[in-house]
Amino acid sequence: MTDLATAFSLGAQGWGDELLAGMATTAQLAATAYACGLVLGLAGAAAKLSGAWLLRALADLYTTVVRGVPEILILFLLFYGGASLVRGLLQDLGHTGPVEVSAFLAGAIALGVVSGAYSTELFRGAILAIPRGQLEAGRAVGMGPWLRFRRILFPQMLRYALPGLGNLWLVMLKDTALVSVIGLNDLLRVGYIAMGSTRQPFTFFLAVALMFLVMTIVSMIVLHRLERWAGQGVRRA
Amino acid sequence: MPDTAAPLPSAALVIEDLHKRFGTLDVLRGISLTARDGDVISLIGASGSGKSTFLRCINLLETPDQGRIAVNGEEIRMKHRTNGRPPVPADPRQVDRLRTRLGMVFQSFNLWTHMTVLENVIEAPIHVLKVPRRDAVARAEALLDKVGIGDKAKHYPNHLSGGQQQRAAIARALAMQPKVLLFDEPTSALDPELVGEVLRVIRQLAEEGNTMLIVTHEMAFAREVSSEVVFLHQGRIEERGTPAELFDNPRTDRMRQFLSRDY
Repeated sequence: MTDLATAFSLGAQGWGDELLAGMATTAQLAATAYACGLVLGLAGAAAKLSGAWLLRALADLYTTVVRGVPEILILFLLFYGGASLVRGLLQDLGHTGPVEVSAFLAGAIALGVVSGAYSTELFRGAILAIPRGQLEAGRAVGMGPWLRFRRILFPQMLRYALPGLGNLWLVMLKDTALVSVIGLNDLLRVGYIAMGSTRQPFTFFLAVALMFLVMTIVSMIVLHRLERWAGQGVRRA
Repeated sequence: MPDTAAPLPSAALVIEDLHKRFGTLDVLRGISLTARDGDVISLIGASGSGKSTFLRCINLLETPDQGRIAVNGEEIRMKHRTNGRPPVPADPRQVDRLRTRLGMVFQSFNLWTHMTVLENVIEAPIHVLKVPRRDAVARAEALLDKVGIGDKAKHYPNHLSGGQQQRAAIARALAMQPKVLLFDEPTSALDPELVGEVLRVIRQLAEEGNTMLIVTHEMAFAREVSSEVVFLHQGRIEERGTPAELFDNPRTDRMRQFLSRDY
């Protein structure tokens, strides 16, 4: 028991503070990437549903390629490929010396691009699920396109998209572990380092698992509330 | 139409030579109609005769291929395009503005399901007409009382009966204080026992002098409230006149056939 208390204590002896910091990094990374994904997803869905064939083709290309390629490959491309691009650029400008791309930034962009492809399809489906008459009623009272989007399409789309978006968030939360591979001190990597230094794999990996589970459960509670809020008027009160 | 065309007369609503095609199907083949203030015009005809399409063309929910529309003396400007493509509105903002003058009531109500009844009624006055919220709410409450569902203001549409939903939709249209009310088969989606409560509201609006166009299958109702009845057949006006003229002395065989089948 005292062993455990020492292992997870917050001081220099224990790994408690490092694990908590890792958990915070994981949550931050997931939230940043997810926000990028939502923006990309909205843009992607708008492109897919637009009348312009070029936009539709670009969005199709995006979702097909990103969903067909391993996520870790996109991460490597951004991290190593990005670093080499930046290095080349800086050398042209006369800068020499080591160049490093932020693992957090590369991770956030890579995971954001991936979740954007999935949320594109989610938003597209949700928009198509809105009965035509809802938007028609908006046109009939003189609402312009932006007002219709803001007051009718977006809130109704959320209602249809939320279950899928919640799912995507939970997947995202766990996918952040991939970024430990390029050296980001996320929850998984901190657990791995602690295991290496203490030779207590069960203790630390189970602790990491438990911390992921806590984040998941908190997320599920929040998502449940959000769904109830967005579903107002649909289910009987 | 060329810009040199003579201005349309400045009645509440003037429609001149309206045409609409869906693919190869000519749904409307040259319909003209004028509604002066206080007119109640019923559009009748078999399904497929084009009466709903006509109503939807008036506020450009469908874009007519040809013809002119003026609301309260202001003509909707259309931009004609090359290589046979149908015209589009020259200024979408003008269309939005004129739509606020045309209150539309749909067959399937189309109340916004994520808003309460009250929110439905105040939505466009606040966000489109920029009416202060307090004024919009006061007016909405009065309108909901008028259509007999003042006690349902805080309910969501899906918790109301069809008749209540349609009356809420009428209140939503009235909240814009439109110049003309357009009813697109307002009772066709209702259970028979709920039709009466909606027709009562529409009849009251007619008696109060509102200008209205009503697409309907309720012949007895059309006869009772209309100042003019227009019978459409295959995209053309087959016969028009006062209710007495049309229902008691139909001049055309088609009108006679239609009445014997439907009435």
